[in-house]
Amino acid sequence: MKALVIYAHPVPESLNAASHGVVVETLRARGWDVDDCDLYAEGFDPVLSTEERRNYHNTEINTAPVQGYVDRLRAADAVIFCHPIWNFGLPAILKGWHDRVMLPGVSFKLADGQLSPCLDNVKKIATVCTYGATRWRAWLVGDPPRKLITRVVWGTVRPEKIRYIAQYDMNNITQAGCDAFLARVKTEMEAF
Amino acid sequence: MRVLVVYCHPKEGSFNSAVRDIVMGRLHRAGVDVRLRDLYAEGFTPVLTRDEWVGYEEAPANRVPVADHVADLKWCDTLIFVYPTWWYGLPAMLKGWLDRVLLPDVAFHMPQAEGEVITPGLHAIERLGVFTTCGASWWLTCLIGAPGKRTLMRGLGLLIKPRAKKVFAAHYLMDTAPRASLEKHLEKVAAQTDKLIGVKPVRSGKLSEATVE
Repeated sequence: MKALVIYAHPVPESLNAASHGVVVETLRARGWDVDDCDLYAEGFDPVLSTEERRNYHNTEINTAPVQGYVDRLRAADAVIFCHPIWNFGLPAILKGWHDRVMLPGVSFKLADGQLSPCLDNVKKIATVCTYGATRWRAWLVGDPPRKLITRVVWGTVRPEKIRYIAQYDMNNITQAGCDAFLARVKTEMEAF
Repeated sequence: MRVLVVYCHPKEGSFNSAVRDIVMGRLHRAGVDVRLRDLYAEGFTPVLTRDEWVGYEEAPANRVPVADHVADLKWCDTLIFVYPTWWYGLPAMLKGWLDRVLLPDVAFHMPQAEGEVITPGLHAIERLGVFTTCGASWWLTCLIGAPGKRTLMRGLGLLIKPRAKKVFAAHYLMDTAPRASLEKHLEKVAAQTDKLIGVKPVRSGKLSEATVE
């Protein structure tokens, strides 16, 4: 079983980096073949270009600029996103991964104005993320990133399992809170 | 009135560029001060770097990498966004503008004591306008919860003046939109822009600036 871990945080000493480490270690210990995709380390360019916009719906050539990322996604049985939440959204580098890699013909088919899923290989999806905001404040705003994963990505890919593992209120977190979050991530990944 | 228009679309001649032109036309007609930031045209870098993250809370040094954008944000009292909705959200380019420019001591203040939340820092902004286009239908966007709209209208809305004037207009089902519907939408954009800046509404069919590709 192959797991694609998509990680997007610029700083290795962050809690987010620690949770990413726990995800990768735990999955490997459970026998998963992990493809660890660190968008910052790989220098992923998140900007969808004019040419890509022009060819967006042409499924014969639209994957070419990001072929490697498309191949990795198509090889995965599970996808795990590890990232912080900034301004009630994904970091730009990860939003750009969605913009550029989740293309027509890769994650969905568009025929007669109707969308249908086509990423059949992905059976499980999880998000492990950290918010500066409190849970109620995120709820007040509508928690856009939670909806992106649990509704948009779920609806597009239709996996058998989806988990959203979030630590809110990072501005006030204690060491014990960090430890508890990492323990929770480990438990979740063991059961994944 | 000082208006900052943040525009984000990779392709000139797109419907979004027509929306931008309508907005700019209405603003110029009203005689207000306008600054336009075209993120694609200027090659804005949306990726918040390691150094920026490490120095995130260190004001005022944190604004140095994006000083000109911070200056525009602090200059304006009216903020307008024009962009396409991709994956129900903002294009990475525009999301990165929020990540890098809405900094501590610029857009908000970090909690001062344990248990507190951030406090707003953009009270000088009294008006917020959001104009976008969606491939999805209105009802599907509502079902998903309109993440892009909420990131700006509510998320950013928490940081600007309380009860600020806000307008929003989106055209849905862009892949199959008939020309008449697009033209009607441009009239709506013009009317909403006028409403935002408090000028008399535009009469239908009188948009000399309106062009649809």
